[in-house]
Amino acid sequence: MPDNKHFIVAALLAATSLPALGDDDTGRALYDANCGGCHQADGGGVPMMQPALIGSERANGEKGAVIDMILFGSEIIDPGMSDYNNEMPSFSHLSDQEIAELATYVRTHFDNDGGPVGPDDVRARRR
Amino acid sequence: MINKFFAAGLALAVIGLAPTALADEAVPAMAANAGLSLPAGFKATVFADGVGRARHMAVSPSGWVYAALMRPVKGFGAVAYHDDDGDGVADSSHYFAKGMRGTGMAIHNGHLYFSTDVSVIRWALPESGEPVSDPELIAHGFPQQRQHASKPFAFDDNGGLYVNVGAPSNSCMERMRQKGSPGMDPCPILEEFAGVWRFDADTPMQERKDATLYVTGVRNAMALDWNPYAGSLYLLQHGRDQLAEFFPEFYTVEDSAELPAEEFHKVAEGANVGWPYSYYDQRQHKRMQMPEYGGDGKKPAEREGQEPLIGFPGHWAPNDLLFRRTGTWPAHYRTGAFIAFHGSWNRAPEPQQGYRVVYVPMDAEGNITGDWETFANGFAGPGPIMSPRDAENRPTGLAEGPDGALYISSMQNDGRIYRVTYAGQ
Repeated sequence: MPDNKHFIVAALLAATSLPALGDDDTGRALYDANCGGCHQADGGGVPMMQPALIGSERANGEKGAVIDMILFGSEIIDPGMSDYNNEMPSFSHLSDQEIAELATYVRTHFDNDGGPVGPDDVRARRR
Repeated sequence: MINKFFAAGLALAVIGLAPTALADEAVPAMAANAGLSLPAGFKATVFADGVGRARHMAVSPSGWVYAALMRPVKGFGAVAYHDDDGDGVADSSHYFAKGMRGTGMAIHNGHLYFSTDVSVIRWALPESGEPVSDPELIAHGFPQQRQHASKPFAFDDNGGLYVNVGAPSNSCMERMRQKGSPGMDPCPILEEFAGVWRFDADTPMQERKDATLYVTGVRNAMALDWNPYAGSLYLLQHGRDQLAEFFPEFYTVEDSAELPAEEFHKVAEGANVGWPYSYYDQRQHKRMQMPEYGGDGKKPAEREGQEPLIGFPGHWAPNDLLFRRTGTWPAHYRTGAFIAFHGSWNRAPEPQQGYRVVYVPMDAEGNITGDWETFANGFAGPGPIMSPRDAENRPTGLAEGPDGALYISSMQNDGRIYRVTYAGQ
Protein backbone atom coordinates (compact mmCIF):
# COMPACT_ATOMS: atom_id res chain seq x y z
CA MET A 1 0.00 0.00 0.00
CA PRO A 2 2.69 2.59 0.80
CA ASP A 3 3.94 2.29 -2.78
CA ASN A 4 0.51 2.95 -4.16
CA LYS A 5 -0.01 5.94 -1.90
CA HIS A 6 3.32 7.45 -2.84
CA PHE A 7 2.57 6.96 -6.47
CA ILE A 8 -0.81 8.72 -6.19
CA VAL A 9 0.53 11.63 -4.20
CA ALA A 10 3.44 12.03 -6.56
CA ALA A 11 1.20 11.82 -9.59
CA LEU A 12 -1.19 14.39 -8.20
CA LEU A 13 1.53 16.78 -7.28
CA ALA A 14 3.14 16.40 -10.66
CA ALA A 15 0.10 16.42 -12.90
CA THR A 16 -2.43 18.77 -11.32
CA SER A 17 -2.84 21.69 -9.02
CA LEU A 18 -5.08 19.67 -6.72
CA PRO A 19 -3.98 19.68 -3.09
CA ALA A 20 -2.25 16.58 -1.81
CA LEU A 21 -4.62 13.88 -0.69
CA GLY A 22 -5.52 14.20 2.95
CA ASP A 23 -5.14 17.96 2.97
CA ASP A 24 -7.07 19.03 6.04
CA ASP A 25 -8.70 22.15 4.61
CA THR A 26 -10.02 20.39 1.52
CA GLY A 27 -11.31 17.45 3.52
CA ARG A 28 -12.89 19.73 6.09
CA ALA A 29 -14.62 21.85 3.44
CA LEU A 30 -16.04 18.75 1.75
CA TYR A 31 -17.13 17.38 5.13
CA ASP A 32 -18.89 20.60 6.09
CA ALA A 33 -20.66 20.84 2.73
CA ASN A 34 -21.81 17.22 2.52
CA CYS A 35 -21.69 15.48 5.89
CA GLY A 36 -21.66 17.89 8.82
CA GLY A 37 -25.34 18.80 8.64
CA CYS A 38 -26.35 15.30 9.68
CA HIS A 39 -23.24 13.82 11.35
CA GLN A 40 -22.72 17.19 13.10
CA ALA A 41 -19.74 19.52 12.78
CA ASP A 42 -17.78 17.60 15.43
CA GLY A 43 -18.62 14.18 13.99
CA GLY A 44 -20.62 13.34 17.09
CA GLY A 45 -23.75 12.28 15.20
CA VAL A 46 -27.29 12.33 16.58
CA PRO A 47 -28.45 9.56 18.91
CA MET A 48 -30.79 7.17 17.11
CA MET A 49 -30.77 9.31 13.95
CA GLN A 50 -27.29 9.56 12.42
CA PRO A 51 -24.28 7.60 13.69
CA ALA A 52 -21.29 9.24 15.35
CA LEU A 53 -18.11 9.19 13.30
CA ILE A 54 -15.94 9.66 16.39
CA GLY A 55 -14.11 6.41 17.08
CA SER A 56 -16.33 4.72 14.52
CA GLU A 57 -15.77 1.04 13.82
CA ARG A 58 -16.49 1.64 10.13
CA ALA A 59 -14.04 4.55 9.90
CA ASN A 60 -11.29 2.47 11.50
CA GLY A 61 -12.01 -0.61 9.42
CA GLU A 62 -11.45 -1.57 5.80
CA LYS A 63 -11.18 1.25 3.29
CA GLY A 64 -14.14 -0.04 1.33
CA ALA A 65 -16.56 0.31 4.23
CA VAL A 66 -16.41 4.11 4.33
CA ILE A 67 -16.16 4.43 0.55
CA ASP A 68 -19.27 2.27 0.08
CA MET A 69 -21.25 4.31 2.60
CA ILE A 70 -20.37 7.52 0.73
CA LEU A 71 -20.97 5.99 -2.71
CA PHE A 72 -24.20 4.13 -1.97
CA GLY A 73 -25.57 5.53 1.28
CA SER A 74 -27.47 3.59 3.90
CA GLU A 75 -29.07 1.30 1.30
CA ILE A 76 -26.09 -1.03 1.88
CA ILE A 77 -27.66 -1.81 5.27
CA ASP A 78 -30.87 -3.84 5.37
CA PRO A 79 -33.91 -1.80 6.41
CA GLY A 80 -35.01 -2.59 9.91
CA MET A 81 -31.50 -3.70 10.90
CA SER A 82 -29.97 -0.28 11.36
CA ASP A 83 -29.60 1.29 14.76
CA TYR A 84 -30.34 4.68 13.19
CA ASN A 85 -33.60 6.16 12.00
CA ASN A 86 -32.47 8.46 9.24
CA GLU A 87 -31.48 7.50 5.73
CA MET A 88 -28.16 8.46 4.18
CA PRO A 89 -28.20 9.40 0.50
CA SER A 90 -25.67 8.33 -2.09
CA PHE A 91 -22.90 10.83 -2.76
CA SER A 92 -21.81 9.09 -5.96
CA HIS A 93 -22.13 12.39 -7.84
CA LEU A 94 -18.91 13.52 -6.15
CA SER A 95 -15.68 12.75 -8.01
CA ASP A 96 -13.35 9.90 -7.06
CA GLN A 97 -10.91 12.52 -5.81
CA GLU A 98 -13.54 14.23 -3.65
CA ILE A 99 -14.78 10.97 -2.18
CA ALA A 100 -11.19 9.96 -1.44
CA GLU A 101 -10.64 13.30 0.31
CA LEU A 102 -13.82 12.82 2.34
CA ALA A 103 -13.11 9.21 3.26
CA THR A 104 -9.55 10.12 4.20
CA TYR A 105 -10.75 13.02 6.33
CA VAL A 106 -13.22 10.86 8.24
CA ARG A 107 -10.71 8.01 8.63
CA THR A 108 -7.97 10.30 9.99
CA HIS A 109 -10.01 12.70 12.14
CA PHE A 110 -12.61 12.35 14.93
CA ASP A 111 -10.18 10.13 16.90
CA ASN A 112 -10.05 7.68 13.99
CA ASP A 113 -6.90 5.98 12.79
CA GLY A 114 -8.15 4.18 9.69
CA GLY A 115 -5.62 5.81 7.37
CA PRO A 116 -5.99 7.45 3.97
CA VAL A 117 -7.70 6.14 0.84
CA GLY A 118 -7.03 7.17 -2.74
CA PRO A 119 -9.14 7.90 -5.82
CA ASP A 120 -8.23 4.48 -7.24
CA ASP A 121 -9.78 2.85 -4.18
CA VAL A 122 -12.97 4.79 -4.88
CA ARG A 123 -12.98 4.01 -8.61
CA ALA A 124 -12.63 0.31 -7.87
CA ARG A 125 -15.79 0.31 -5.76
CA ARG A 126 -18.14 2.18 -8.10
CA ARG A 127 -20.80 0.00 -9.68
CA MET B 1 -18.02 18.19 27.29
CA ILE B 2 -15.27 20.18 28.95
CA ASN B 3 -17.90 21.91 31.06
CA LYS B 4 -19.32 18.60 32.08
CA PHE B 5 -15.95 17.30 33.25
CA PHE B 6 -15.21 20.54 35.01
CA ALA B 7 -18.54 20.44 36.83
CA ALA B 8 -17.93 16.83 37.82
CA GLY B 9 -14.47 17.68 39.10
CA LEU B 10 -15.84 20.54 41.13
CA ALA B 11 -18.50 18.35 42.69
CA LEU B 12 -15.87 15.76 43.59
CA ALA B 13 -13.72 18.34 45.23
CA VAL B 14 -16.56 19.86 47.23
CA ILE B 15 -18.47 16.86 48.44
CA GLY B 16 -15.87 14.12 48.08
CA LEU B 17 -18.14 11.61 46.36
CA ALA B 18 -16.65 8.64 44.60
CA PRO B 19 -16.81 9.07 40.80
CA THR B 20 -19.28 6.21 40.41
CA ALA B 21 -21.79 8.08 42.57
CA LEU B 22 -21.78 10.84 39.97
CA ALA B 23 -23.05 8.64 37.17
CA ASP B 24 -25.79 10.24 35.10
CA GLU B 25 -28.62 8.61 37.02
CA ALA B 26 -27.42 9.80 40.42
CA VAL B 27 -27.34 13.54 39.87
CA PRO B 28 -30.90 14.17 38.62
CA ALA B 29 -32.34 11.81 41.25
CA MET B 30 -31.00 14.10 43.93
CA ALA B 31 -32.47 17.17 42.26
CA ALA B 32 -35.91 18.43 43.18
CA ASN B 33 -38.65 17.32 40.78
CA ALA B 34 -36.23 15.03 38.99
CA GLY B 35 -34.40 18.06 37.64
CA LEU B 36 -37.50 19.39 35.84
CA SER B 37 -38.98 22.86 36.07
CA LEU B 38 -42.77 22.71 36.35
CA PRO B 39 -45.62 25.14 37.07
CA ALA B 40 -46.34 25.83 40.74
CA GLY B 41 -48.12 22.97 42.47
CA PHE B 42 -46.70 20.19 40.28
CA LYS B 43 -44.19 17.56 41.38
CA ALA B 44 -42.12 15.08 39.39
CA THR B 45 -40.26 11.87 40.14
CA VAL B 46 -38.12 9.59 38.00
CA PHE B 47 -40.63 6.75 37.75
CA ALA B 48 -38.23 4.37 35.99
CA ASP B 49 -34.60 4.66 34.90
CA GLY B 50 -32.57 2.49 32.55
CA VAL B 51 -35.72 1.80 30.54
CA GLY B 52 -34.01 1.63 27.15
CA ARG B 53 -35.23 3.45 24.04
CA ALA B 54 -38.66 4.26 25.47
CA ARG B 55 -41.22 5.64 23.03
CA HIS B 56 -44.98 5.88 23.47
CA MET B 57 -46.72 4.60 26.59
CA ALA B 58 -50.10 3.53 27.94
CA VAL B 59 -51.29 3.22 31.55
CA SER B 60 -53.89 0.61 32.52
CA PRO B 61 -56.79 1.15 34.97
CA SER B 62 -54.76 -0.76 37.59
CA GLY B 63 -51.81 1.61 37.13
CA TRP B 64 -49.48 -0.57 35.05
CA VAL B 65 -47.32 1.54 32.74
CA TYR B 66 -46.55 -0.03 29.35
CA ALA B 67 -43.77 1.48 27.23
CA ALA B 68 -42.79 0.62 23.66
CA LEU B 69 -39.06 0.26 23.03
CA MET B 70 -37.60 1.41 19.73
CA ARG B 71 -34.64 -0.93 20.25
CA PRO B 72 -35.00 -4.29 21.97
CA VAL B 73 -33.85 -4.72 25.56
CA LYS B 74 -32.76 -8.30 26.25
CA GLY B 75 -34.61 -9.19 23.06
CA PHE B 76 -37.91 -7.59 24.10
CA GLY B 77 -39.67 -4.65 22.44
CA ALA B 78 -41.81 -3.42 25.33
CA VAL B 79 -41.77 -3.19 29.10
CA ALA B 80 -44.37 -3.01 31.89
CA TYR B 81 -43.79 -1.16 35.18
CA HIS B 82 -45.73 -0.85 38.40
CA ASP B 83 -45.31 1.26 41.51
CA ASP B 84 -46.30 -1.13 44.33
CA ASP B 85 -45.79 1.14 47.32
CA GLY B 86 -47.08 4.43 45.93
CA ASP B 87 -43.83 6.39 46.23
CA GLY B 88 -43.85 7.48 42.59
CA VAL B 89 -41.09 5.07 41.60
CA ALA B 90 -41.66 1.78 39.80
CA ASP B 91 -40.79 -1.30 41.84
CA SER B 92 -40.82 -3.99 39.19
CA SER B 93 -40.28 -4.29 35.46
CA HIS B 94 -41.56 -7.00 33.15
CA TYR B 95 -40.33 -7.15 29.56
CA PHE B 96 -42.57 -8.45 26.76
CA ALA B 97 -43.07 -8.32 22.96
CA LYS B 98 -40.19 -10.75 22.38
CA GLY B 99 -38.33 -10.33 19.12
CA MET B 100 -40.04 -7.04 18.32
CA ARG B 101 -39.36 -3.34 18.60
CA GLY B 102 -41.73 -0.44 18.13
CA THR B 103 -43.16 2.96 18.95
CA GLY B 104 -46.95 3.02 19.45
CA MET B 105 -48.62 1.87 22.69
CA ALA B 106 -52.24 2.47 23.72
CA ILE B 107 -55.16 0.81 25.48
CA HIS B 108 -58.52 0.42 23.75
CA ASN B 109 -61.54 -1.74 24.46
CA GLY B 110 -59.81 -4.09 26.90
CA HIS B 111 -56.72 -4.56 24.76
CA LEU B 112 -53.16 -3.31 24.76
CA TYR B 113 -52.13 -2.15 21.27
CA PHE B 114 -48.52 -1.90 20.09
CA SER B 115 -47.01 -0.93 16.75
CA THR B 116 -43.82 -2.11 15.13
CA ASP B 117 -42.54 -0.37 11.99
CA VAL B 118 -44.69 -2.65 9.82
CA SER B 119 -47.72 -3.64 11.91
CA VAL B 120 -50.19 -2.86 14.68
CA ILE B 121 -50.85 -5.77 17.05
CA ARG B 122 -52.77 -6.18 20.30
CA TRP B 123 -53.02 -8.40 23.35
CA ALA B 124 -55.83 -8.85 25.86
CA LEU B 125 -55.08 -6.31 28.58
CA PRO B 126 -54.12 -8.19 31.76
CA GLU B 127 -55.32 -7.11 35.19
CA SER B 128 -51.67 -6.80 36.14
CA GLY B 129 -48.25 -7.41 34.64
CA GLU B 130 -47.27 -8.00 31.08
CA PRO B 131 -49.70 -9.43 28.51
CA VAL B 132 -49.75 -13.21 28.34
CA SER B 133 -52.19 -13.91 25.50
CA ASP B 134 -50.97 -14.52 21.96
CA PRO B 135 -50.75 -11.25 20.04
CA GLU B 136 -53.42 -10.55 17.43
CA LEU B 137 -52.50 -8.79 14.18
CA ILE B 138 -54.79 -5.79 13.58
CA ALA B 139 -53.10 -3.80 10.79
CA HIS B 140 -50.31 -4.78 8.41
CA GLY B 141 -49.09 -4.29 4.84
CA PHE B 142 -46.81 -1.34 5.62
CA PRO B 143 -43.60 -1.48 3.56
CA GLN B 144 -40.31 -1.59 5.45
CA GLN B 145 -38.87 1.94 5.52
CA ARG B 146 -35.46 3.40 6.29
CA GLN B 147 -36.66 6.80 7.50
CA HIS B 148 -39.83 7.92 9.29
CA ALA B 149 -40.64 4.25 9.70
CA SER B 150 -42.42 4.41 13.07
CA LYS B 151 -46.17 3.79 13.12
CA PRO B 152 -47.61 5.87 15.98
CA PHE B 153 -51.40 5.60 16.23
CA ALA B 154 -54.50 6.90 18.03
CA PHE B 155 -58.12 5.81 18.61
CA ASP B 156 -61.29 7.85 18.21
CA ASP B 157 -64.39 7.26 20.35
CA ASN B 158 -66.17 5.36 17.60
CA GLY B 159 -64.05 2.29 16.79
CA GLY B 160 -61.52 3.99 14.52
CA LEU B 161 -57.77 3.40 14.62
CA TYR B 162 -55.59 6.10 13.00
CA VAL B 163 -52.07 5.11 11.93
CA ASN B 164 -49.40 7.53 10.77
CA VAL B 165 -47.39 6.35 7.76
CA GLY B 166 -44.42 8.73 7.50
CA ALA B 167 -42.83 9.68 4.19
CA PRO B 168 -39.56 7.81 3.51
CA SER B 169 -38.28 11.14 2.27
CA ASN B 170 -37.34 14.69 3.21
CA SER B 171 -39.12 16.62 0.48
CA CYS B 172 -39.87 14.05 -2.24
CA MET B 173 -36.69 14.83 -4.17
CA GLU B 174 -35.91 12.69 -7.21
CA ARG B 175 -32.61 11.70 -5.61
CA MET B 176 -33.04 11.37 -1.87
CA ARG B 177 -31.51 14.29 0.09
CA GLN B 178 -29.16 15.27 -2.74
CA LYS B 179 -28.48 18.95 -3.23
CA GLY B 180 -29.87 20.20 -6.54
CA SER B 181 -32.32 17.36 -7.03
CA PRO B 182 -35.84 18.62 -7.85
CA GLY B 183 -39.05 17.42 -6.25
CA MET B 184 -40.98 14.69 -8.07
CA ASP B 185 -44.22 16.04 -9.50
CA PRO B 186 -46.67 14.60 -8.73
CA CYS B 187 -45.02 13.10 -5.66
CA PRO B 188 -45.57 9.32 -5.91
CA ILE B 189 -44.81 8.86 -2.21
CA LEU B 190 -48.25 10.31 -1.37
CA GLU B 191 -49.93 7.17 -2.70
CA GLU B 192 -48.69 4.83 0.01
CA PHE B 193 -47.07 7.09 2.61
CA ALA B 194 -47.14 10.63 4.03
CA GLY B 195 -50.57 10.41 5.59
CA VAL B 196 -52.78 8.98 8.27
CA TRP B 197 -54.82 5.87 7.42
CA ARG B 198 -57.99 4.89 9.26
CA PHE B 199 -58.52 1.25 10.25
CA ASP B 200 -61.23 -0.49 12.25
CA ALA B 201 -59.88 -0.73 15.79
CA ASP B 202 -61.26 -4.23 16.46
CA THR B 203 -60.95 -6.06 13.13
CA PRO B 204 -57.98 -8.42 12.74
CA MET B 205 -55.76 -8.75 9.66
CA GLN B 206 -56.53 -5.46 7.92
CA GLU B 207 -54.15 -4.40 5.17
CA ARG B 208 -53.03 -0.82 4.64
CA LYS B 209 -54.18 -0.94 1.01
CA ASP B 210 -57.76 -1.59 2.17
CA ALA B 211 -57.72 1.12 4.84
CA THR B 212 -59.09 4.64 4.37
CA LEU B 213 -56.67 7.45 3.59
CA TYR B 214 -57.90 9.91 6.23
CA VAL B 215 -55.33 12.75 6.00
CA THR B 216 -52.72 13.28 3.28
CA GLY B 217 -49.70 15.54 2.79
CA VAL B 218 -48.19 14.75 6.19
CA ARG B 219 -44.41 14.27 6.08
CA ASN B 220 -44.40 12.49 9.43
CA ALA B 221 -46.73 12.74 12.43
CA MET B 222 -45.16 11.13 15.46
CA ALA B 223 -47.63 13.07 17.62
CA LEU B 224 -51.31 12.37 17.03
CA ASP B 225 -54.30 12.00 19.36
CA TRP B 226 -58.05 12.15 19.28
CA ASN B 227 -59.43 15.20 21.08
CA PRO B 228 -62.40 13.71 22.97
CA TYR B 229 -63.85 17.16 23.73
CA ALA B 230 -63.83 18.56 20.18
CA GLY B 231 -64.37 15.11 18.62
CA SER B 232 -61.54 15.39 16.13
CA LEU B 233 -58.09 14.05 15.29
CA TYR B 234 -55.21 16.43 15.96
CA LEU B 235 -51.60 15.93 14.90
CA LEU B 236 -48.22 17.60 14.60
CA GLN B 237 -46.12 17.36 11.47
CA HIS B 238 -42.33 17.16 11.59
CA GLY B 239 -41.18 19.80 9.10
CA ARG B 240 -38.53 19.10 6.47
CA ASP B 241 -34.76 19.41 7.07
CA GLN B 242 -31.78 21.09 5.40
CA LEU B 243 -33.23 24.24 3.78
CA ALA B 244 -29.95 26.19 3.91
CA GLU B 245 -27.85 23.14 3.08
CA PHE B 246 -29.72 22.58 -0.19
CA PHE B 247 -30.78 26.18 -0.96
CA PRO B 248 -28.16 28.58 0.42
CA GLU B 249 -29.28 31.13 -2.19
CA PHE B 250 -32.71 31.39 -0.50
CA TYR B 251 -32.11 30.61 3.18
CA THR B 252 -29.46 31.67 5.68
CA VAL B 253 -28.35 29.21 8.34
CA GLU B 254 -30.42 31.26 10.81
CA ASP B 255 -33.50 30.89 8.56
CA SER B 256 -32.84 27.19 8.30
CA ALA B 257 -32.61 26.86 12.09
CA GLU B 258 -36.08 28.41 12.51
CA LEU B 259 -37.81 27.06 9.39
CA PRO B 260 -40.00 25.39 8.56
CA ALA B 261 -42.51 25.36 11.42
CA GLU B 262 -43.44 22.20 13.25
CA GLU B 263 -47.16 22.33 12.42
CA PHE B 264 -50.02 21.67 14.86
CA HIS B 265 -53.23 20.74 13.01
CA LYS B 266 -56.82 19.83 13.63
CA VAL B 267 -57.56 17.37 10.83
CA ALA B 268 -60.93 16.25 9.49
CA GLU B 269 -61.33 13.38 7.04
CA GLY B 270 -59.90 14.44 3.68
CA ALA B 271 -57.57 17.08 5.10
CA ASN B 272 -54.35 17.88 3.23
CA VAL B 273 -51.42 19.25 5.21
CA GLY B 274 -49.46 20.24 2.10
CA TRP B 275 -46.25 18.16 2.09
CA PRO B 276 -44.18 18.02 -0.13
CA TYR B 277 -45.40 20.97 -2.17
CA SER B 278 -45.40 23.49 0.65
CA TYR B 279 -44.28 24.22 4.20
CA TYR B 280 -45.44 26.67 6.85
CA ASP B 281 -43.39 29.78 7.67
CA GLN B 282 -44.35 30.79 11.22
CA ARG B 283 -42.50 34.10 10.88
CA GLN B 284 -44.49 35.22 7.82
CA HIS B 285 -47.63 33.38 9.02
CA LYS B 286 -47.98 31.87 5.56
CA ARG B 287 -47.81 28.56 3.79
CA MET B 288 -44.91 28.75 1.32
CA GLN B 289 -43.94 26.93 -1.86
CA MET B 290 -41.35 24.21 -1.15
CA PRO B 291 -38.02 25.13 -2.81
CA GLU B 292 -37.76 21.70 -4.50
CA TYR B 293 -40.99 22.76 -6.27
CA GLY B 294 -39.92 26.24 -7.31
CA GLY B 295 -40.16 28.08 -4.00
CA ASP B 296 -37.62 30.68 -2.97
CA GLY B 297 -38.51 31.48 0.62
CA LYS B 298 -40.86 34.26 -0.55
CA LYS B 299 -43.28 32.58 -2.93
CA PRO B 300 -46.60 31.61 -1.30
CA ALA B 301 -47.83 28.04 -1.70
CA GLU B 302 -49.58 27.38 -5.00
CA ARG B 303 -51.33 24.17 -4.00
CA GLU B 304 -53.63 22.88 -1.34
CA GLY B 305 -52.39 22.65 2.23
CA GLN B 306 -54.35 23.70 5.29
CA GLU B 307 -53.11 26.35 7.71
CA PRO B 308 -51.87 25.00 11.04
CA LEU B 309 -53.38 26.09 14.35
CA ILE B 310 -49.83 26.84 15.56
CA GLY B 311 -46.46 26.90 13.83
CA PHE B 312 -43.91 25.88 16.45
CA PRO B 313 -40.20 26.73 15.95
CA GLY B 314 -38.35 24.58 13.43
CA HIS B 315 -36.88 21.15 14.18
CA TRP B 316 -38.19 20.85 17.74
CA ALA B 317 -39.48 17.38 16.80
CA PRO B 318 -42.97 16.90 18.28
CA ASN B 319 -42.98 13.23 19.25
CA ASP B 320 -46.23 12.82 21.16
CA LEU B 321 -49.57 14.55 21.71
CA LEU B 322 -51.96 13.97 24.62
CA PHE B 323 -55.42 15.22 25.48
CA ARG B 324 -56.11 14.41 29.11
CA ARG B 325 -59.26 12.43 29.88
CA THR B 326 -59.41 11.90 33.66
CA GLY B 327 -60.77 15.35 34.51
CA THR B 328 -58.14 15.71 37.19
CA TRP B 329 -55.73 18.66 37.49
CA PRO B 330 -56.83 22.32 37.47
CA ALA B 331 -59.39 23.40 34.87
CA HIS B 332 -56.72 25.18 32.83
CA TYR B 333 -55.20 21.80 31.89
CA ARG B 334 -58.36 19.77 31.24
CA THR B 335 -59.18 20.17 27.56
CA GLY B 336 -55.97 21.41 25.94
CA ALA B 337 -53.06 19.66 24.27
CA PHE B 338 -49.84 18.42 25.86
CA ILE B 339 -47.02 18.05 23.34
CA ALA B 340 -43.67 16.30 23.93
CA PHE B 341 -40.87 17.86 21.90
CA HIS B 342 -37.90 15.56 21.47
CA GLY B 343 -35.61 18.49 20.62
CA SER B 344 -33.68 19.41 17.51
CA TRP B 345 -30.58 18.07 15.79
CA ASN B 346 -30.39 20.39 12.80
CA ARG B 347 -30.27 23.96 14.02
CA ALA B 348 -26.42 24.09 13.96
CA PRO B 349 -24.50 26.36 14.14
CA GLU B 350 -27.31 27.78 16.31
CA PRO B 351 -27.85 25.99 19.66
CA GLN B 352 -30.20 23.02 19.56
CA GLN B 353 -33.63 23.62 21.08
CA GLY B 354 -36.99 22.25 22.04
CA TYR B 355 -36.31 19.54 24.65
CA ARG B 356 -39.52 20.13 26.63
CA VAL B 357 -43.22 19.40 27.11
CA VAL B 358 -45.55 22.26 26.18
CA TYR B 359 -49.22 22.87 26.88
CA VAL B 360 -51.66 24.49 24.47
CA PRO B 361 -54.70 25.85 26.33
CA MET B 362 -57.92 24.94 24.49
CA ASP B 363 -61.62 25.07 25.29
CA ALA B 364 -63.98 22.11 25.03
CA GLU B 365 -64.82 23.03 21.42
CA GLY B 366 -61.16 22.72 20.48
CA ASN B 367 -60.49 26.46 20.14
CA ILE B 368 -57.08 27.64 21.27
CA THR B 369 -57.67 30.05 24.16
CA GLY B 370 -54.19 31.42 24.80
CA ASP B 371 -50.51 31.28 23.91
CA TRP B 372 -48.82 27.91 24.24
CA GLU B 373 -46.73 27.57 27.37
CA THR B 374 -43.79 25.43 28.46
CA PHE B 375 -45.16 22.90 30.95
CA ALA B 376 -42.04 20.87 31.76
CA ASN B 377 -38.46 21.85 30.96
CA GLY B 378 -34.94 20.95 32.03
CA PHE B 379 -34.84 17.49 30.44
CA ALA B 380 -31.70 18.30 28.47
CA GLY B 381 -29.73 19.59 31.46
CA PRO B 382 -27.68 22.78 31.51
CA GLY B 383 -27.40 24.28 28.04
CA PRO B 384 -26.73 25.57 25.56
CA ILE B 385 -27.03 22.23 23.81
CA MET B 386 -24.87 22.50 20.69
CA SER B 387 -25.28 18.85 19.72
CA PRO B 388 -28.27 16.70 20.67
CA ARG B 389 -26.02 14.05 22.18
CA ASP B 390 -25.19 16.56 24.92
CA ALA B 391 -28.82 16.53 26.05
CA GLU B 392 -29.20 14.33 29.12
CA ASN B 393 -32.83 13.45 28.42
CA ARG B 394 -35.21 14.11 25.52
CA PRO B 395 -38.99 13.75 25.89
CA THR B 396 -40.58 11.36 23.45
CA GLY B 397 -43.84 9.95 24.85
CA LEU B 398 -46.81 11.01 27.00
CA ALA B 399 -49.46 9.04 28.87
CA GLU B 400 -52.02 9.69 31.58
CA GLY B 401 -52.55 7.39 34.56
CA PRO B 402 -55.96 6.57 36.05
CA ASP B 403 -55.19 8.98 38.92
CA GLY B 404 -54.29 11.75 36.48
CA ALA B 405 -50.51 11.45 36.75
CA LEU B 406 -48.69 12.44 33.57
CA TYR B 407 -45.95 10.06 32.42
CA ILE B 408 -43.20 11.40 30.16
CA SER B 409 -40.74 9.03 28.48
CA SER B 410 -37.23 9.83 27.26
CA MET B 411 -35.07 7.57 25.11
CA GLN B 412 -31.79 9.47 25.44
CA ASN B 413 -28.87 7.80 27.22
CA ASP B 414 -30.27 4.95 29.33
CA GLY B 415 -33.90 5.87 28.81
CA ARG B 416 -36.23 7.09 31.52
CA ILE B 417 -39.87 7.64 32.46
CA TYR B 418 -40.88 10.65 34.55
CA ARG B 419 -44.11 10.89 36.54
CA VAL B 420 -45.68 14.32 37.09
CA THR B 421 -48.48 14.88 39.62
CA TYR B 422 -50.48 17.84 40.81
CA ALA B 423 -50.01 18.40 44.52
CA GLY B 424 -51.99 21.61 44.83
CA GLN B 425 -50.86 25.13 45.55
